[in-house]
Amino acid sequence: MEMIHTTCVYCGCGCGLFFHVEDGRIVGVSPSSRHPLSRGRLCVKGWLAHDFVHHPDRLKIPLIRRDGRQSKVAWDKALDLIAQRFEEIKNRHGPDSLAVLTSAKGTNEENYLLMKMARAGFGTNNVDHVARLCHAPSVAGLGLSLGSGAMTNAIKSLHQSETILVTGSNTTEQHPLIAAHILEAQSRGAKLIVVDPRKTQMAKLADIHLAPELGCDVAWTNGMLNLIIEKGLIDETFIEERTEGFEDLKKAVSKYTPEVVEEIAGISKEELEKVAMVFGSASCASIVYAMGTTQHSNGTDNVLALANLVLATGNVGRDGTGIYPLRGHQNVQGACDMGALPNVYSGYQKVADGESRKKFEKSWGVNLPENPGLTAVEIMEAAEEGRIRAMYISGENPMMSYPDRERVKKALESLDFLVVADIFPTETTALAHVVLPVASFAEKDGTFTSTERRVQLVRKAVLAPGEAKSEWEVVCELMKRLELDADYTSPREVMEEIARVTPSYGGISYERLGVLGLHWPCPNSSHPGTEILHQETFPIGKAKFHPVEHEVLERNEEYPFILTTGRNLFHFHTGTITRRIQLLDRERPQALLEINPKDAKDLGIRRGQKVVAESPKHSLEVEVQITPDIPPGIVFMPFHYQEAPANLLTSHKLDQKSKIPDLKRIPVKIRRVEG
Amino acid sequence: MTPFLLSQDNLVLLLEELSQNLEVIAPVLAEGEPVFATWKGQPLALDKENPLNSPAEFFLPQRETLFRYVQYSGRYTFEEDPPKSRLILGMRPCDVQAIRVLDQIFGSGPADLPYVNKRKSTIIVALNCTKPQETCFCAQMGAGPRSEVGYDLLFTEIEQGYVVESGTPAGMFILKYYSHLFEEALPEHLEEMETRLRDAENAVRKNRPDMSAESILQAAENVDLDRAEKECLQCGGCSLVCPICHCFSTMDQGVPDGERIRCRDSCVLAGFSRMTGGANPRETLGKRQLHWYLDKFVYIPEKTGMLGCVGCGRCSKVCLGKVDRWKLLEEAMRR
Repeated sequence: MEMIHTTCVYCGCGCGLFFHVEDGRIVGVSPSSRHPLSRGRLCVKGWLAHDFVHHPDRLKIPLIRRDGRQSKVAWDKALDLIAQRFEEIKNRHGPDSLAVLTSAKGTNEENYLLMKMARAGFGTNNVDHVARLCHAPSVAGLGLSLGSGAMTNAIKSLHQSETILVTGSNTTEQHPLIAAHILEAQSRGAKLIVVDPRKTQMAKLADIHLAPELGCDVAWTNGMLNLIIEKGLIDETFIEERTEGFEDLKKAVSKYTPEVVEEIAGISKEELEKVAMVFGSASCASIVYAMGTTQHSNGTDNVLALANLVLATGNVGRDGTGIYPLRGHQNVQGACDMGALPNVYSGYQKVADGESRKKFEKSWGVNLPENPGLTAVEIMEAAEEGRIRAMYISGENPMMSYPDRERVKKALESLDFLVVADIFPTETTALAHVVLPVASFAEKDGTFTSTERRVQLVRKAVLAPGEAKSEWEVVCELMKRLELDADYTSPREVMEEIARVTPSYGGISYERLGVLGLHWPCPNSSHPGTEILHQETFPIGKAKFHPVEHEVLERNEEYPFILTTGRNLFHFHTGTITRRIQLLDRERPQALLEINPKDAKDLGIRRGQKVVAESPKHSLEVEVQITPDIPPGIVFMPFHYQEAPANLLTSHKLDQKSKIPDLKRIPVKIRRVEG
Repeated sequence: MTPFLLSQDNLVLLLEELSQNLEVIAPVLAEGEPVFATWKGQPLALDKENPLNSPAEFFLPQRETLFRYVQYSGRYTFEEDPPKSRLILGMRPCDVQAIRVLDQIFGSGPADLPYVNKRKSTIIVALNCTKPQETCFCAQMGAGPRSEVGYDLLFTEIEQGYVVESGTPAGMFILKYYSHLFEEALPEHLEEMETRLRDAENAVRKNRPDMSAESILQAAENVDLDRAEKECLQCGGCSLVCPICHCFSTMDQGVPDGERIRCRDSCVLAGFSRMTGGANPRETLGKRQLHWYLDKFVYIPEKTGMLGCVGCGRCSKVCLGKVDRWKLLEEAMRR
């Protein structure tokens, strides 16, 4: 038996684990004790990280659609056809009729090559990925305030915090290993404040739990900041030396008096004063947040409000402080870093900036498009309208993960040509003209970048099933057919190129990564990596306060409930992997709609009964779970289940600053299924 | 049989010889961490802490293919892989005791053949524990730091190498067959061994002086199950890493041809005890935690005459929550 050290494939924690490999099969997993995040521990998904690798459903041969049916095809033919069709459509409709959706499950190297293929091969900046649906507001918001959308500190920094404020994060279920670090800090004396309308396990474990009305984040954050300013708990030196725009902010938050906040968010004056005191008086405080903050039509404002809070209290740039957006996928940070975004190349070098563009043109030996491309949800809209005609989707399942499933279906069906590369058949591969079977994380080398900016090695433990190939090889083959240089012989060589063209990854090389990895920015080969950002200065010089205002929620009489969507502990994202893991699927074999006992009683619903959840456009049937952990008026549903796809009910209502769809506040009505 | 002495150098020679005919499993370093893996000449990690992956996985892997089913002309045939001939070096007394418990559970009729066949084709070379860790309480569980039974060969590290004792004919055979590598142990070697083991036992007992099977059982009734329920993060790690936990699920994957898979399961997970109709006799996490104590200290002893815990401390090491069972027990003991 061999023990292969690698990086977990699920959430942004990026835990280190060992695969136990025997005779070419993975027979077990154990946590890595030396890995700084996992420290000899894993969550339930991590312990079962091997369990899908040898599943018989794995895609093993390329498929091509003929006469409405997908049938076997040789790799060469499939690749030739893809190159030919993309060329044809490009010639007829222009390069911006093509789009690429990369995968946050793929490696950095694959994301880099895919964005290179889109830009250098297809000639379009229409490249995006699932970050658009999770942390686009962080990239936008933190980018505006701090100059970088990434987590400011390494997770271990939380151990030094006196106060940790967690908001919009069901941490014990979605980032269990980070929750373990936070809870350990709490055991050592840190005060844990959780702000969440739902009474999550994290909320139950908190020293203080605030349950504001859903969607009132700006109001309570501004209110807290207003009290902190009033009580003189701000860090004046920090504000003076390292920030701009405080006076405007001060004025803007001054109207968020405790009374106003109570009116808007339902948080009492006493509660708000308590958290303001606990947060404001801490010498080191930090804020941890996730999708409960970002997936709103004012997601960027929510992030800006939190950034204002850490900046005004001087909680940036030191150990024990910072702002921690928890990334959902294990490599969504990396996919962003690699420039799988419509407006930037790797390392967030802007495509609209002539200098950056010239640099990449020189490096890649081609002319590159100037205008930023479309974002993920916009790509779907463009497809629906016929502006996008061909799409390459790598390991994403928009049919389940994107808002408004019916629209996504229509969009994908209206494409002239759709290529989907994945490890399992999904609701999206079913619509593809060509399906490419690719290697899972256990079957390829590469790197993932975790939520704490830690670039880590992924190692090949076993061979891919059947004819499946690593996607970096697939993309190289396609690039060669598009007459680009793509003679990479290994992901290591791709990383060498990434390091050459990406200043923040300049010092990253496979030799240096080992078990511990390296935190970017790591500009050169002798640089130790950066655990704490913004210590001396911000990338934009001084940090900037951006005053934000509460957005009044329109209540819809006809659709009185607010549906908020998310995930549960046992499944991941669209369930493509976890629903094939017997132990995990056994834990939560079906979608359950969480509803408060009062609402259930009013509607005459009892435990185990089914309801119809109905949005203005669609409806679905789902069993209820009656729980006091969710407040009246709100219902929660995970989006893992194709039998009851929550995204059937969601809509394309976007945050205008980051283009993230609002997946947390969907007006619905609920009625009992009769009979 | 009198004990022998094996030098560090000769140990490597012995392993080289043995690995001609057997797969030698030993603690080696992987990325700086001791793990049980196939020995291919790499430096041994016998002086490091006991690996986190317990050697029980060589008899009951986290995931194993029990057999493959192949359909041909409407009839099914079944294929099984023969068990590998193995020698596991460096199994600590706690793990040896765990295997004894598993032998009782899987070996008593009807025998579980996948387990028993692997067990029969494996030689156990145990290593007495002279460097226990803070998380260890094997002595209190009667499982260490010295192995009394259950091994084919038993090593104890001393200055000059290892004192080697045999426990079965298979062990004696190795000593005889490779006698050129062993020398007779002298009284001072044995004395050093005794001193080391006594010190180790004292160290282990000092960690948790009041702990015993009786005190645990008594305390288990007073464990704060509400806290357990509130703080457990349901990773299942405690049971997946335990060398005695052995619950599993089976499933058939693949139609018409495929595999019957057996995978390790965990009673911490609600689905483990939930019935088809949805009722669950151990619905709350607190009840499931209580079951864990009862299984280890009531049910398994009733079944095997041995405790269901060997004090290896792995469950504490992997516990993701703040709920670590042994901390909870100790709190209960103090109440």
